[in-house]
Amino acid sequence: MSETMAPADLLDICAQEPIRIPGGIQPHGALLVLRPGDLRVLQASANAASLLGIDLELEQAPVLTDLAFVDSPFGTDIAAWAAGEEPLYFKVQPLDGRLFSVSAHRTAQGLILEFEPALDSDASGPTLYPALREFLERTETLPGVPALAEAVAGQVRRLTGFNRVLIYQFDPDWNGMVIAEDGDGTLPSYLDLRFPASDIPAQARELYLLNRLRMIASADYVPVPLVPALCPSDGAPLDMSLAVLRSVSPVHLEYMRNMGTAASMSISIVIGERLWGLISCHHAQEMTVGAQVRAACDFLGRIVAQQIDARERSAEMDERLRLHHLETELVAHLARAATFQSGLVERAPQWMGITNARGAAVLSEGVVLTAGITPPVDKVIELAEWLKSRKIEQTFATDCLSEHWDRGADLAEVASGILAVPISRLHASFIIWFRPEIVRTVTWGGDPRGDKALDAQGRLHPRRSFESWKQLVHNRSTPWREAEILSAADFRTAVINFVLQRAEERAQLSDELQRSNKELEAFSYSISHDLRAPFRHIAGYAQLLAEEEPNLKPLSHHYLDGITHAALSAGQLVDDLLRFSQLGRASLKTSRIDMAKVVEEVRHSLDTAEGERAIVWEIGEMPTCWGDPSLVRQALFNLVENALKYTRGRDPARICVFGAERDEDIVYTVADNGIGFDMAYAGKLFQVFQRLHRPEDFEGTGIGLALTKRIVDRHGGTVQASGAVQQGATFTFSLPKREKGKPRGNA
Amino acid sequence: MATLRPILLVEDNPADVELTLAALNKTKLANEIVVARDGVEALDFIFAEGAFAERGGGHPAVVLLDLKLPKVDGLEVLERVKRHPKYRAIPIVMLTSSREESDIVRSYQFGVNSFVVKPVEFNQFFQAIRDLGVFWAVLNEPPPGDL
Repeated sequence: MSETMAPADLLDICAQEPIRIPGGIQPHGALLVLRPGDLRVLQASANAASLLGIDLELEQAPVLTDLAFVDSPFGTDIAAWAAGEEPLYFKVQPLDGRLFSVSAHRTAQGLILEFEPALDSDASGPTLYPALREFLERTETLPGVPALAEAVAGQVRRLTGFNRVLIYQFDPDWNGMVIAEDGDGTLPSYLDLRFPASDIPAQARELYLLNRLRMIASADYVPVPLVPALCPSDGAPLDMSLAVLRSVSPVHLEYMRNMGTAASMSISIVIGERLWGLISCHHAQEMTVGAQVRAACDFLGRIVAQQIDARERSAEMDERLRLHHLETELVAHLARAATFQSGLVERAPQWMGITNARGAAVLSEGVVLTAGITPPVDKVIELAEWLKSRKIEQTFATDCLSEHWDRGADLAEVASGILAVPISRLHASFIIWFRPEIVRTVTWGGDPRGDKALDAQGRLHPRRSFESWKQLVHNRSTPWREAEILSAADFRTAVINFVLQRAEERAQLSDELQRSNKELEAFSYSISHDLRAPFRHIAGYAQLLAEEEPNLKPLSHHYLDGITHAALSAGQLVDDLLRFSQLGRASLKTSRIDMAKVVEEVRHSLDTAEGERAIVWEIGEMPTCWGDPSLVRQALFNLVENALKYTRGRDPARICVFGAERDEDIVYTVADNGIGFDMAYAGKLFQVFQRLHRPEDFEGTGIGLALTKRIVDRHGGTVQASGAVQQGATFTFSLPKREKGKPRGNA
Repeated sequence: MATLRPILLVEDNPADVELTLAALNKTKLANEIVVARDGVEALDFIFAEGAFAERGGGHPAVVLLDLKLPKVDGLEVLERVKRHPKYRAIPIVMLTSSREESDIVRSYQFGVNSFVVKPVEFNQFFQAIRDLGVFWAVLNEPPPGDL
């Protein structure tokens, strides 16, 4: 065997120890194997004849009842049991003038009879009953598993007289931890010590499920062989899985000697089909425990298993109920929230509470929202991408993210533990809960990395030194409990339903929107025709009247002018509104726009209307852009028109127009030295019908800037305004440099 | 110019009829101005059918056609005239309140000769009507032999 053998291989060797078929027994008792039908003795421990005081010539295959038991009730007793159906036999029997505890069980290879010299306690069976009853009454009211474990340890020690009794609990990886202890001080305390999974290998654990109680009377015993070595019924070694006298692995004996214990007994605590833990008893000196007491301890082990199960279940149920309440409350809030994501953030304590987490994040529809202690958003996104690659169905929970994901180590401080649920099949959409690292000091009963060594013969020795070994556990959070994981799974279902429902509502809303949009279109069409006409008629008739009656009084003329003016502005308003509403639906007819030319046209058409005013135009570089030429012209027109309007009274009015190139777009600026505006109203500037001036000061419908903004919005650009009262105004808007989707440099 | 061709104004709104006539009168055109109040009347006049079966005077010099009309609307009148091999040369001007893009597009598809949105301001309106009248009734030379 190579020295470089990996620990896993060493453990395999240990696991190959033939513990069920050791071929011998412990020397404090004797064993016989009988053929079921005629009770002929097939095999016997080498010490059977002397211990039981019988002549045993196995070559003759003697019948049990023909042996020295002829005049003892034992023979007929066993014969009656053997002929019956009872799986086990147990009785204290006088044999050869001594009392023996005799137990028997059936195996495929034959009936196995075990004889142990009876102890005083074996005769006192009934007196165990009050002790057990008292124990039951006392422990029924104990609240949690730790208190119960401590009570059991004390009770077992009182029943058996061992120096020390440990309650040993397995973790999910089969490492053991001593959670309770009762001792008389003879042996050192092992409380809180941990033992690596390799200390009790898988095949031993399997055997412990089958055989609930094991006893070793002396760590120094010399095994008594079975004769013959192979069982004559099938020519195979005798399976002694259920035999109490079964000789144990020499490795285990060495382990015991290292621990300074000469005798031991262990009782399985089995919950469901799982080995939950052990009641592990040790004594500094050699000792045996009578069969009656062992039966009582076995009974205790079974009761304790049930009580632990009940307590764990009830604690789990309580927790599940509590989390469920929280979850119900949270889901109810989500139903009222604008979006489920915002609802989660508004109820952050409940959101984190439903899994007892310290932080939480939701990634959905391109939005990442977090609460509590979480990694930075970019890391959360990375984590989600990784989670997506794992194709999680329901939940993913770990208390050590770095074990699954290399980059998880960087997040260990806040996210050693994560619990994630996917909320979309298509996207990397998740709800993730986080738990921070808990740096724990774990005390091991020896180095858990295993220092078992192979000696020259290739035989295993358990670790020779039994010093406790401390380890700091990093990158781990407190583990997620089943109730918490279930709570997350439940919540996932609620959120998915919620998202689906919202999607349906949205689809319905979009149908309604389309319908009302159509109605609006019809409405604006009829306005364009029917509302505009009467204004035109009013203006027309007023004009005709003025021509028909050239001699009207000046005041009458003034009134007529008023009528005309009102009709004209109403007509203008209708025109502007129409243009604004059409902008929402008309598709853009884009092409490259020569902005220098546009600004020249705009300036020309406005300049002529301005007559004699002194206007200084400062037109700078106007880089070309990409858009709908007539709309872009309109947008620029409105800004320049505004600049002219609000510089009325300035001598000279100064109007600057220029463009500046950026990576993806061009920013155009229209600045003036006019009356400006108060920045407090900047937000209102671009809204429809918002005007900052009285109509008699500056005419207008309040649509121009809104129209400009809408045009720029539709091109994917932005509009901004800055200014101060009497300090002029500066408007900027951006337009794309090149056609959407076209690569750079191809413009 | 042997005969002055009539100008056909197709308009259902009496106010529009009155104002348009006022504008046309100011231009002092000699052409007769015929008013049709719906699409059916307009088609009857153009095709010299129904009530206008006996009319003389040949094709109108121009048809000023409103878009929204009772019975048969302006677009349909336009389409039927422009589809007709005998009448398609008659100039038709859409004279309407609507700036609706789809109306403009379809009018041109059907072969409209021009599309004018009536200005609200009367002087501009007057100017527009006068220009139309002068252009189509006086300046424009119709195709030969289509009387």
